[in-house]
Amino acid sequence: MAQMTAQAAPPPVAPAPRTPSPLQRFLHAREASTFLALVVLFALGTLLAPGFLGTNNFLTVGQQIAQIGIMAIGVTFVIINAEIDLSVGSIYGLGAVVTGLLMTSDIAWPLAALGGVAAGALAGLINGMMTVGFGIPSFIVTLGTLSVYRGVTLLLSGGAPISLSGNDPNVAEFNLLGQGKLFGLLPMQLVIFALVAVLGAIVLSRSRYGFNTYAVGGSAEAARLCGIDTGRVKIAAFTLSGTLAGLAGVLGLSFLSYVQGVTGTGMELVAISAVIIGGAALFGGSGTMLGTVIGVAFIGILQNILNLRGISSFWQTVATGAVIILAVAADTWLRKRSGRR
Amino acid sequence: MTSPATITAPPTPAVEVTGLSRHFGPVRALQDVSLSVPAGSLTAVMGENGAGKSTLMKILAGLDSPTDGTVRVDGDDVRRFDPATLLSRHRVALVPQELALAQDRTVAENIMLGVEPGSRSFPNRRRMDEQAAALLTRLGVRVDPRRSVNQLDAATQQLVVVARSLARQARLVILDEPTSILSPAESERLFEVIAALRADGVTMLYVSHRMPEVFALSQHIHVLRDGRHVAHWPTADVTPDQVVAAMVGRELAGEFSRHEPPAPTASGTPRLRLRGVCGTGYTGIDLDLAPGEVVGVAGLPDSGRVELLRGIFGADPVDGGELTLDGEPFVARSPRDAIDAQVAYLPGERRQQGILPTMSVADNINALTLHRRQRFGLLRRRALRGDAQSRSGDLRVKTSTVTQGITQLSGGNQQKALLARWLSIEPRLMLLDEPTRGVDVGAKAEIYRLFRTLAGDGVTILVSSSDLPELLTVSDRIAVMAAGRVVGVIPAAEATEEKVMALATGANTIKEKA
Repeated sequence: MAQMTAQAAPPPVAPAPRTPSPLQRFLHAREASTFLALVVLFALGTLLAPGFLGTNNFLTVGQQIAQIGIMAIGVTFVIINAEIDLSVGSIYGLGAVVTGLLMTSDIAWPLAALGGVAAGALAGLINGMMTVGFGIPSFIVTLGTLSVYRGVTLLLSGGAPISLSGNDPNVAEFNLLGQGKLFGLLPMQLVIFALVAVLGAIVLSRSRYGFNTYAVGGSAEAARLCGIDTGRVKIAAFTLSGTLAGLAGVLGLSFLSYVQGVTGTGMELVAISAVIIGGAALFGGSGTMLGTVIGVAFIGILQNILNLRGISSFWQTVATGAVIILAVAADTWLRKRSGRR
Repeated sequence: MTSPATITAPPTPAVEVTGLSRHFGPVRALQDVSLSVPAGSLTAVMGENGAGKSTLMKILAGLDSPTDGTVRVDGDDVRRFDPATLLSRHRVALVPQELALAQDRTVAENIMLGVEPGSRSFPNRRRMDEQAAALLTRLGVRVDPRRSVNQLDAATQQLVVVARSLARQARLVILDEPTSILSPAESERLFEVIAALRADGVTMLYVSHRMPEVFALSQHIHVLRDGRHVAHWPTADVTPDQVVAAMVGRELAGEFSRHEPPAPTASGTPRLRLRGVCGTGYTGIDLDLAPGEVVGVAGLPDSGRVELLRGIFGADPVDGGELTLDGEPFVARSPRDAIDAQVAYLPGERRQQGILPTMSVADNINALTLHRRQRFGLLRRRALRGDAQSRSGDLRVKTSTVTQGITQLSGGNQQKALLARWLSIEPRLMLLDEPTRGVDVGAKAEIYRLFRTLAGDGVTILVSSSDLPELLTVSDRIAVMAAGRVVGVIPAAEATEEKVMALATGANTIKEKA
C-alpha cells in the first residue's frame, strides 16, 4: 500500500497563483535583453566616447535614426506576419524621387509629399498582392521588387540627381519637415518618428488589426479557421511598410534637399536588423513596437559612439552586422536558460 | 494490490531513475521521481497531461536535462544529457509523438541517416537499401526501402522511425503515445512490431492514455501525477479503474456512462441537413442532425470524415449538394461565414490549426469575440481578460494566469481553452475533429460531460473521431464513413465497436495500402 500513501500526500504543484512583481514582469518581457544591452552600450558610450553624454548629441542621434526608425516600424508589421520586406530601401528612394519630381514641377509641397508617400503605399500594396495572390514567399517577391522599384526610381530620375532650390518658398516650407525643429529644439523628424511609433504601438497592441497580425504570424491556418482574412492582414502590412518607407524617403529628401536614383540603397538591411535586434522572430507571431524602437536606438547609438571615436564608417558596417548576430544569439541563449519558448 | 517490495526486481534494471527533478523557474515538472525499468520489459508510464510524462521521456532521450537526480542506463550513469550521447553511448532512442522524418528522402535514407554504410559523404546506396530492408523485415514491415517517405501513411512512417532506432542498435526504445495518430488496424501493425522488438530483447518504455493497449502490452505500470511518481504495479496485479484513480487522484463519478438519447423531435426542422453533399474526399453525403443531437462520425483516417467537417465549416470548398441550417440554405464560403452562422469547428491538428501558438491563453479564448470588446476602435484589454477568466473558469482550464502563453498549457488544457473559444460564439452546431486526441482521462471525462450539457441546451454536435469507445460513449447516433461515403448510420443503443469497424473497413478492402 506504499504507493497509495504517497497518493494521499497533498498535490505538490499548483502553487497559489503568483502575481509576478513588476521587476519580474520586466525581466520576462521580450524586450528586456535588448534593453539591458542598450544600457550596457550607453554605459560604454559614456566611458569611451568624449561628447557622448549631452542633450545635443542625443538629439543628433534622434535625428539620424528617425528615417530608419520609421521604416523599421512598417517592417515590424511585416515580420510579425511571418513575412519579410526587402524592398523598403528601394521604396525609400522611390518616395524621395517622386516627391522631388513633383516639387521641381512646382506642385504645392503638401501634395508633393503626399505623392511620395502614396507611391510608397502603392509599391507596398503591389508587394502584398503578389505575395498573397501568387502564394509565393515574400522573400522572393520583395527581392524582385527591390530591383524593380530601384529601376523605376532610376528611370523616373533619368539618372540625374534632383536638387531643390532653397530660394523657392515652397521648398523652404517643405524643408521644415526634415530640417525644422519643434520649439526650436526637437528635430521635426524625431517628432514624426515618435508619433508614428506611438501610433504603431497602439495599433499593434490595442487594435483588432494588431491582434490579427500576431494570430496570422503565429499560425496562418489557425487564424484562418478563426475567421480571419489572412490575405488582407498581410496585404495591409505590406502596404503599411511601403507607406512608411515612402514617408521616410520624403523626409530624407526634405533633410538633404537632394535625391538621386540610388538613394536609400541598403537601408532595408539596417531596418530589418533593428527589428530583429528588437526581439521579433523571423518565424513570425512575436515582436513589439517598443522592441523595435529599442533596436533602432541601439543601432543609432552604436554608430554614434563609433563616430565620436573617429572609427571609419566601414568598421561601423562591420559592427552593425556583428551586433545582429550577437543580439539574436544572446536572446536565444537567455530564453533557453529560462525555459521560455 | 501488491506493494512494490514484493516484486522481485531483476538484478540490473535497464533504466534506473533516482530522485529525478526538473524545474522550469517556479514550475516543478518533475519532483523526486524514482523508478526502474527491468531489462527486456515493456513498462508503461501513465498520467494525465501535465503530469510530467513528456518531461521524463525527454530527459531519458537527452532532449532535456534534469535539475537534480540521476539516470542510470544498464548500470552506467548518464553524465551528459544530449540525444547523441544517449543514443550512441547508452543506446536509448525515442519514437516521438510528432514524427520527424526527412520527407523528401527515401525510407532507407531515413533509417540509415548518420549510420550509412560506406563513407559518410558518399554512402553505398545499395548496401544502405539492403540493410534498411533487413531491419524492416526483422520488424515484419513490408515497405520498399527506396520509396520516398512522403508517400507513406503516418503509421508506416512511425514504423520507419522505430526501424531507425534499431539501425542504431538501441536497447531501450521510448514510444511516446505511438497510437495517437493511428487507426485501430494500424495500431495492430504497431503491436506486432512491438512483439518483434521484445523477442529481440529490446526494453521499451511506453507512454499512452489508452488503457486497453497498456494492459495488453505492458508488464509494469507506473503512474505520474503533478510531477510526482505516485504508483507502480505489475500489470497483472492491477485493474484499469485503479490506474485511473491513481492518475486523477479521485474517483471519476459515473465516468463514461452512456446517456439517454433525446426524444426524437417529431417533424422538427433538422439543425443541419445534408443532401448529396460532395467535395474533395467525400461524395453523396445525406445526413440529418436534430437540435441537441450528438452524432459521431466513424471511419478510417482516409474515409473522408475529416474533409467533410472542413467542408461544412467552409475551411475547404464544397463542390455540390444542398446544405440547410435550421431550414435555411447554408453555404459557408469561408470560416467567417460559418462563424457568423454560429457554427464552430475544432480541428484535429491542435498544434498546427487550433492554437494561436505565440499568443496568450486569453487571446486564444477571445479570438472570436474581439468585436464585442472594442471602444473607439481599440480593444478593451481589461474586459477581454475578464471574459477569458470567466470562460476558462467555466471549463476548468488549468492555468496560473490567462496571460500565460497557450503553449505552456498541457494538451488537455489547450483543448479546453479552444472549446472555450468556440463556446464564446454560442454555437448552434459544433463540428469537432478528434476532440480528445492527446487529452488525458480527467480532461476527457470533463469534455464528454460538457458535450452532454451542451446537447441538453440544444446544441448539435458532430464528432469525428478515430477513438471508437469515445464515439460509442458520446454519440446518439454513429454515421460510419468509408471511401468518402456514409455507409451506415447506427443508433447508439445498437452500436458496438465490431459493427462500426465492420462497416468502416468493409468497403475499403479494395484500396488497401501497401
